[in-house]
Amino acid sequence: MADTLHPDKLQSDPVLRDGTHLSDLIDMDMREVKMRVLSDPDLYEIEMKKIFARCWLLVGHESEIPNKGDFIQRDMGSDSVIVAKDAKGDIHVSLNVCPHRGMRITTLESGNASSHVCIYHGWAFKPNGDFIGSPIASECMHGTMRSKEELGLRKARVAIWGGLIFATFDQDGPSFEEFMGDAKWYFDTLFDRTDSGMELLGPPQRFNIRANWKTACEQSAADGFHTLTLHRWLAEVGPYAKKPDAEGKGGDLSPEMYGCEVWTDHGHALRCIELDRKIARLTGKDPDTLTVEEKLTALPPPGITREMVPELLRRFSKEQLEIMAWRPPQVGGFFPNGLFEFIYLPQPDGTIVGAMALHVYVPKGPDKLEFTNYIFAERDTPPELKAKMLRLSIQMLGTSGLVEQDDSDTWPHQTLAAKGAVSKDITLKYQACYDNKGPENWPGPGHVGEGFTKDDTQWAWWRYYHELMTAPD
Amino acid sequence: MNQAMLAELKLLEPTPVPPVDSTQRLPVGSDIYNEIVMHLYDEAELLDDLRFSEWLETLAEDLEYNVPLRHTRPSRETDKSVIRTVQHMHDDYPSMRLRLMRLTDTNSAWGEDPPSRCRRLVSNIRAYITSNSNEYRVDSYMLLTRSRFDSDAFDLIPCKRHDVLRRENGKWKLARREVILDQAVLGTPNLGIFL
Repeated sequence: MADTLHPDKLQSDPVLRDGTHLSDLIDMDMREVKMRVLSDPDLYEIEMKKIFARCWLLVGHESEIPNKGDFIQRDMGSDSVIVAKDAKGDIHVSLNVCPHRGMRITTLESGNASSHVCIYHGWAFKPNGDFIGSPIASECMHGTMRSKEELGLRKARVAIWGGLIFATFDQDGPSFEEFMGDAKWYFDTLFDRTDSGMELLGPPQRFNIRANWKTACEQSAADGFHTLTLHRWLAEVGPYAKKPDAEGKGGDLSPEMYGCEVWTDHGHALRCIELDRKIARLTGKDPDTLTVEEKLTALPPPGITREMVPELLRRFSKEQLEIMAWRPPQVGGFFPNGLFEFIYLPQPDGTIVGAMALHVYVPKGPDKLEFTNYIFAERDTPPELKAKMLRLSIQMLGTSGLVEQDDSDTWPHQTLAAKGAVSKDITLKYQACYDNKGPENWPGPGHVGEGFTKDDTQWAWWRYYHELMTAPD
Repeated sequence: MNQAMLAELKLLEPTPVPPVDSTQRLPVGSDIYNEIVMHLYDEAELLDDLRFSEWLETLAEDLEYNVPLRHTRPSRETDKSVIRTVQHMHDDYPSMRLRLMRLTDTNSAWGEDPPSRCRRLVSNIRAYITSNSNEYRVDSYMLLTRSRFDSDAFDLIPCKRHDVLRRENGKWKLARREVILDQAVLGTPNLGIFL
């Protein structure tokens, strides 16, 4: 990626109401972003069009709609959609807006329907969005000026991956595989680990925060540093509080900051945090003396038991297994508005219990976002472990999460600050840079840095944001 | 749903709150009823005044405390509007103690430091005798108002609480609480507070 703007791009560089260009607000050389970008209403309108109407967005999981006719209502940016399973078992994502007079087709969060009938004038649609007809066929309420094919719900492209349902309204944009790019190799080790696949343990938690979506999302692109201060309680009384046999001093989270970080040209980011310390504690052995299989068995990934480890060995390449046993992706983001947490939480009894969660931060205007928290396990995770993972996920993450309640209190302050006449020109800084390209033997793709956490992943998020916002229409 | 799925669901969901037996209602103004009302008022004050260590003493060690999700479903499926698998809170005594320790024993519980100014308005209290002689099923309505920082906007959390209160050595302990919220999408940035 070149850091200078191509002349073609300048023509589509968004101009704000006072004549400022977006590119005036993002300094590619200094890796700084002016605060104004965080909550400018003009930019918000452009983001909805250039980012949310174009990118592949997470809208749910197959396990939410197991039966024919099942549907859920979700948001893709500022647009409501129906995610439905048809009679053949295929999943469709359609705009939840009646083409007749604009009423929402469904007002429910979920349900089952063989046809979706608008309550306003009765136009009916199939689960795949096709127009069935309007009431009293002989009177032809929908007229003859448009064909029935033209009167269906607007359809999104759909991609299913590990049961996760992604969709985009950009009919001509990149394929899902292209969009995920180098990140897919890593995400496969999280979302597509077992033959039976993941399952959602219930509908997502939903709550609103008075903050711009980007405050949550630039952090999701793997901000490691904030853990040290904002989440300091983790080492004070939380899961990382000093243990009798702990290395280092109590109250110090910095040992958890080491590993590799991976970023891609499409703004996806992964913190691959080293497991060696945990494995040494669990086994009493130097992890370098253990095989990949021994390490995975000593500390299986979240939702996996030691009995399920042979399945991992069968499903993944040698390189992927090496990452899973050494420095697995534990937290990070998928552009534009997703976060994953596949974390290993030390318990008071010395064991480690995993949590598997995905968040989607739905933009609800320049100053509001909806935090949507999906909690998962593997279908084959034993029920007792599932129950334990569910409770821990609820207690640590999301609405009442002891970790994440601090985040949701921070983002509104950034959003407010971004409005100050002086403050809006203050810059967000991403100047902690890796001085290496990762370990020589790093088996995975993407851009890699090794050592203590840095800002490169978050800067990659802003670069792709900039690229999409300045792309021609 | 097959047997295995039902068994799994039972593990994921909390123990159901014992049902109300309307024939066992305590009259308003009776001695035990008055004690229960006084306890709920005092509890609201402890929480509003951030007296967390004292509140912890009112929790039973076999406590189950949960806040289900609400889901928008049609009138004929109102039973499905309360979700108890994934919930907003799902706690027991040890996890509650950790939540309280975070507030009292660290200087980094930023989600509630500086603390919210909350007012818990408790009303519509109904109490019922249960099959356990020292336990009462108590339902109440609560409107929680929450103010943070210099914002003049209040976060409102209206809810109905299904409690089991236990009388032990002349003191009341909360043995079970389920909080039924009125919002499908909560209008407050977190539940760093207690309902």
